[in-house]
Amino acid sequence: MASAPVSVSAMRETMDVLLEISRLLNTGLDMETLSICVRLCEQGINPEALSSVIKELRRATEAMKASENMTN
Amino acid sequence: MATPEQKSPNVLLQNLCCRILGKGEADVAQQFQYAVRVIGSNFAPTVERDEFLVAEKIKKEFVRQRREADGALFSELHRKLQSQGVVKNRWAILYLLLSLSEDPRKQPSKVSNYAALFAQALPRDAHSTPYYYARPQTLQLNYQDRNVQSVQNSAALGSSGIGSIGMYSLNGPTPPPQTFVPGQSFQTPAVGDSLRQQLGTRLAWTLAAGQQPALQNITNKCHPNTVSRNVPRTRREGETSGSVEITESSLVRDILYVFQGIDGKCIKMCNSENCYKVDSKVALSKSLKDTTGRLAELGWLHNKIRKYTDQRSLDRAFGLVGQSFCAALHQELKEYYRLLSVLHSQLQVEDDQGVNLGLESSLTLRRLLVWTYDPKIRLKTLAALVDHCQGRKGGELASAVHAYSKTGDPYMRSLVQHILGLVSHPIVNFLYRWIYDGELEDTYHEFFVASDPTVKTDRLWHDKYTLRKSMIPSFITMDQSRKVLLIGKSINFLHQVCHDQTPTAKMMAVAKTAESPKDAADLFTDLENAFQTKIDAAYFETSKYLLDVLNKNYNLLEHLQAMRRYLLLGQGDFIRHLMDLLKPELVRPATTLYQHNLTGILETAVRATNAQFDNPEILKRLDVRLLEVSPGDTGWDVFSLDYHVDGPIATVFTRECMSHYLRVFNFLWRAKRMEYILTDIWKGHMCNAKLLKSMPELSGVLHQCHVLASEMVHFIHQMQYYITFEVLECSWDELWNKVQQAQDLDHIIAAHEVFLDTIICRCLLDSDSRALLNQLRAVFDQIIEFQNAQDAMYRAALEELQRRLQFEERKKERETEGKWGVTEAEEEEENKRVLEFQESIPKMRSQLRILTHFYQGIVQQFLVLLTTSTDESLRFLSFRLDFNEHYKAREPRLRMSLGTRGRRSLHA
Repeated sequence: MASAPVSVSAMRETMDVLLEISRLLNTGLDMETLSICVRLCEQGINPEALSSVIKELRRATEAMKASENMTN
Repeated sequence: MATPEQKSPNVLLQNLCCRILGKGEADVAQQFQYAVRVIGSNFAPTVERDEFLVAEKIKKEFVRQRREADGALFSELHRKLQSQGVVKNRWAILYLLLSLSEDPRKQPSKVSNYAALFAQALPRDAHSTPYYYARPQTLQLNYQDRNVQSVQNSAALGSSGIGSIGMYSLNGPTPPPQTFVPGQSFQTPAVGDSLRQQLGTRLAWTLAAGQQPALQNITNKCHPNTVSRNVPRTRREGETSGSVEITESSLVRDILYVFQGIDGKCIKMCNSENCYKVDSKVALSKSLKDTTGRLAELGWLHNKIRKYTDQRSLDRAFGLVGQSFCAALHQELKEYYRLLSVLHSQLQVEDDQGVNLGLESSLTLRRLLVWTYDPKIRLKTLAALVDHCQGRKGGELASAVHAYSKTGDPYMRSLVQHILGLVSHPIVNFLYRWIYDGELEDTYHEFFVASDPTVKTDRLWHDKYTLRKSMIPSFITMDQSRKVLLIGKSINFLHQVCHDQTPTAKMMAVAKTAESPKDAADLFTDLENAFQTKIDAAYFETSKYLLDVLNKNYNLLEHLQAMRRYLLLGQGDFIRHLMDLLKPELVRPATTLYQHNLTGILETAVRATNAQFDNPEILKRLDVRLLEVSPGDTGWDVFSLDYHVDGPIATVFTRECMSHYLRVFNFLWRAKRMEYILTDIWKGHMCNAKLLKSMPELSGVLHQCHVLASEMVHFIHQMQYYITFEVLECSWDELWNKVQQAQDLDHIIAAHEVFLDTIICRCLLDSDSRALLNQLRAVFDQIIEFQNAQDAMYRAALEELQRRLQFEERKKERETEGKWGVTEAEEEEENKRVLEFQESIPKMRSQLRILTHFYQGIVQQFLVLLTTSTDESLRFLSFRLDFNEHYKAREPRLRMSLGTRGRRSLHA
């Protein structure tokens, strides 16, 4: 249904809605990350895999921070 | 940011990595590679792509977190999203958000120890993640590896939900002190929760169930529980470390082997007690020993099932049903093995990591106990099935399995139902082959229809196919199986006997559908009775087609009528004419008769009467048959009509039936002959009455003759009436009605047999009424004797009359010649002769009297037998035979048993 070029305002509105949902669900995604995720999902990426990747990445970040702290 | 231009997923992923890690592209190469691998290897989602479902889950999540207002807000937003229609894959995004969601009431607790470890292990994990989103598997097993995964991810999500309780307990703003729970990693609870939600599998539910009450307890007494949680744990630690020989982890390792039926290091099969036991040398606490014992039962059950399948799968004679039973067992075992392999890999991972992650993350006996609870029930059911099915095969086996599906436990029932589906699949196949093609491909004698290859086609209908009672599965009723037998039999009959090669598809409008094993079980157990209707339809169509073929191509009903007309003397004119023609032949001794002469006469009779208009097909089959000749027989005793039957109609008119027909024919023929004789006698009376008027001395004898003859005529008429109307016509009407309404050939055969039996019985031809028949025969003999006696008398009388007339004529002649009419000598001679004749008259009278006496005696005897008979129609016959109570007056025994009370008192 959205194959035709959609107006930027509609896109923005959608993103706002999604961001609101994301906030409600407390996913911790910011606008940019969310938009990347939405684009990935729109391209048919398996959300299960994607969510696990994001979690792992977060964990890795935590670990890196922790190690930095330790070294510091 | 939401630019419409399409970037490749890889670029987006890299962006994502950079974004989350907060580093440049060069620094995230490792993580990016990992992300690409995970995404690339899990292209297809393992969950239902249903936006509504995901939305519902999210709402539930809100409700669970007691954020109903947010839930309403979400619904609003979701509706907006739907109405905008910009995003195509809404479910995917929602799903992603749900997976990433966290309970805001909790402090997101990021734990360092485990995470650091993970960071180190990450590259390797990316290569060999045994638990990581494996390819989509069958639903039943998903929960097992998912579980492990969930355990991995949220390392603390323990068997009793302790881990997640821990999370819930951490409501306070302060993170727990690291030292308090050493080595324990706290994953975000949302992972566990969302996982549990998305899995929706059984074990997840058991976890949830375990959590719920505990959760309530714990939320009440918030903080102390952290302590209480740890207390038993430490105590157990003390215990395990106390035993020198063995640790729990090695026990777990052993148990995993035992699960596969392999003896472990210290848990061994004890042959004498037929169970797994912990080596007696090993010191173990009672609780551990107990748990081990309970777990080891799984191994024992596994061995039992394995033994059965191993034995049977090599046995070729076990048959298809047995093979599919083994296959079903194998399938179940395979799933069980999958669980084991997952457990093993879990153990392996722990070993590989080489670090004690803490007790919470590792496999423990208790955890195993919970995880293997469901598989244990499954194995138990299977083992019980195996026990019950021992020594059974084919339909019997299916019955045995079916018996187990009658349980109230839905879980067990679905398991058994599944197995039943597989087991009954070959039976359904047999069944469809049989009822749609009439083919029996039952090499191992498993189907409930048995075929006897030695039976020739002429007995195909009666003897070839039988029901194997023991092989009828209990979900098929006797009535259904009988119909199934009949359907296939009809098809085979059509093909082999009627040589009707119409394909069965044309016979039946019923479309046959290929059935999968699932349908098989449904078919047999559904409430809608689809199976019943299917069988009924096939039965109805096939039988109808068969009857049509028999009636149209083989004139079954016309043959039936022909039997009635010719063998049961229904065609009166033909029989009468035949008797007229045959009379001169049949009075001769039986040895001088020739079949070809009689056949000629038969043809003459056919041509001369209405029989000529009959179907030539029927007349062709009509023939004469001479019975075995015994010395002294006349033609009457050995003559018989015959009707040739062959081909399909011989199935109805079997050899036994034809012999019955012959017996009935002989009886009827004899009775008919009596009628014929009496007509002759009556003719004699009429003709001679005037002639013999001139001999007054004869009048007494003649009167006696007339009286006896009319007595006999009365008797025979009543007998004929009885035979014709009460026996033949009634039974025939019944038969005809039944044949018209018959649904299958068996009905016709049965009706025909009933018809014949009734006739045989009513015509006094069965063994019970032998005494009656003997009396009747005696009556018939008396009639013949009377005929002979009367013939002799008439001959003598007529001869005498002739002589007297000649004498008178001679007298007249001489008188006209002018001579004396008679000489003295002549007159004397004449007088002497007359005197002689007159003297012979008393002899005749006495002969007749004796005849009458005998005859009446026999009839009285016959009547006595009739009145004592149990058959109502025979008692009525006796009433009719003695309507004017002529015999009753003579026979005291008749007075007692017949008539009304008033009459009896009259006689008394």
